[in-house]
Amino acid sequence: MIEAIGLTRHYGDKRGVSDINFKIEKGEIIGLLGPNGAGKSTIMKMITGYMAPSEGTVVIDGSDIVKDRKKATSKIGFLPEIVPLYTEMRVEDYLYFLSEIKGIKKKARKAHIVNIMELVKVIDVKDRLIKNLSKGYRQRVGMAGALIGLPEILIFDEPTVGLDPKQITQVRDLIKKLSEKHTVILSSHILSEITMICEKVMIVNNGKLIAVDTVENLSSNRNDNGNFLISLKGDNARAKELLLSAEGVVSVETDTETVLQDGFCAFKVKAEAETKVRENIFSIMAKENMAIIELSTQRHSLEDIFLQLTSEAGSYSESKVAQK
Amino acid sequence: MKFIIKKEISAYFQTPFGFVFVGMFLLLSGITFSTYNLMGGSGDLNGMFGLLGNISFMIFPILTMKLFAEERKNGTENVLLTSKLSITDIVVGKYISAVFVFVVALLATVVYVGIIATYGYANYGGIIASYLGFFLLGITMIAVCVFTSSLADNQVTAAIASFGILFLLVMMQSFSSSIQIPVLTPVLSALAITVPYDEFTRGIFRAGPVCYYIGISIFFLFLAIKNLERKKFD
Repeated sequence: MIEAIGLTRHYGDKRGVSDINFKIEKGEIIGLLGPNGAGKSTIMKMITGYMAPSEGTVVIDGSDIVKDRKKATSKIGFLPEIVPLYTEMRVEDYLYFLSEIKGIKKKARKAHIVNIMELVKVIDVKDRLIKNLSKGYRQRVGMAGALIGLPEILIFDEPTVGLDPKQITQVRDLIKKLSEKHTVILSSHILSEITMICEKVMIVNNGKLIAVDTVENLSSNRNDNGNFLISLKGDNARAKELLLSAEGVVSVETDTETVLQDGFCAFKVKAEAETKVRENIFSIMAKENMAIIELSTQRHSLEDIFLQLTSEAGSYSESKVAQK
Repeated sequence: MKFIIKKEISAYFQTPFGFVFVGMFLLLSGITFSTYNLMGGSGDLNGMFGLLGNISFMIFPILTMKLFAEERKNGTENVLLTSKLSITDIVVGKYISAVFVFVVALLATVVYVGIIATYGYANYGGIIASYLGFFLLGITMIAVCVFTSSLADNQVTAAIASFGILFLLVMMQSFSSSIQIPVLTPVLSALAITVPYDEFTRGIFRAGPVCYYIGISIFFLFLAIKNLERKKFD
């Protein structure tokens, strides 16, 4: 559906983004992550035809954005960070104008707009001037504008910035609903938002794409996946001793975060090869009649992955980076 | 293009811009009409339009200052540029809407003709020529302002730049008559936007000045289109 090929953008002598390559399939929900100034908005602007790439191109459903921008952008609905609105217009008039300039047939315009207003829940403010609406409503009017013509691809740049918690929930729910029928790219600083909504994430740092994968894969692919948590019934010192005696265990640290009853203990175990170590620990503990209450892999949150990747300066080779 | 025209005309009257322009225009024309016709006892409007031609450069920037700068500020410029509309549609649509507001203001001055016809002798030939001349001067000034608005990122810059360029073009008549340098003087005369207009205010109607104004208007609209094309996918 969307293919970026060697996408590069210079700002004078400075490189905004360089050699970005990725493929997004139809129906996917992608989260675009990156620190401030990483190049997220630049990538989005190039995908939507708002900005020309200095090198490379984006192919939208077979149409090259550089060679045939009109056709390529007709399949995209874009909500930039600064919502483009004619604030002196009424909501309905604004959407009607957009439907006119986006080439919706005259007979279908009214019904089309009403459907979209119902979908994004702005029908109750359709007669109000946009300048008098709250930020949450303005954001939804912006989304309604992006939905005019029901484009197959929807791109939202920081759609929840500046909204109150209730409005954030409403906008997230709306994006989830839209993702049922559209391919969605969402950029956000809020990592929990990405985890909640998106199937896949693209992480950008210093203008480079450093990871493209599902949150699950990114988490399990981390090179410290030998770490796990273990809770046992028995004496703390004896348990630690036994754990350290298991083959493959590198270090054992008492887990102070897990709250346990008396007679139980918990440890963070660092090991060389997780699966085999777990088998060894199980045999040792069984022989000592020490019951294992819990044994779980220490999962990385998206925050951990994000911080780790962005500090690695783009050297994450395990994930599906740069699918050329 | 009709969508842009419709949107811009309604925007003029949903915001103070349209009313301020019409009000300012009627104030200036009212003062000049009172001075030349009511107090001077004149039956034609050449005096009024003569003075109006030299001072109207002050009000046209009000009409055009928001045309592109506002779109840029609101982020709606890209919405237009990625729509089905061509850049020519956008520029010409905005230009026509500004001309429409100007025509509304100009039509309001027909009251003055009624006053002259009621209380004195109206020289209709001269009046029509004056109206036509001022209309052509006005649409040319609007085209110049549309171009400067397409360059600016905010309304104040657009207005000041338009004001400066129009002031220079109006003052060119004085420069060209006071400087006698081969090559330069004819160039300055050609740029003096009010010189052909003077013919109309004297009741003379020739195709040359009409073509001059239409040509200059097309030239500046063309520059605005090219400027937006450059920005469009920059």
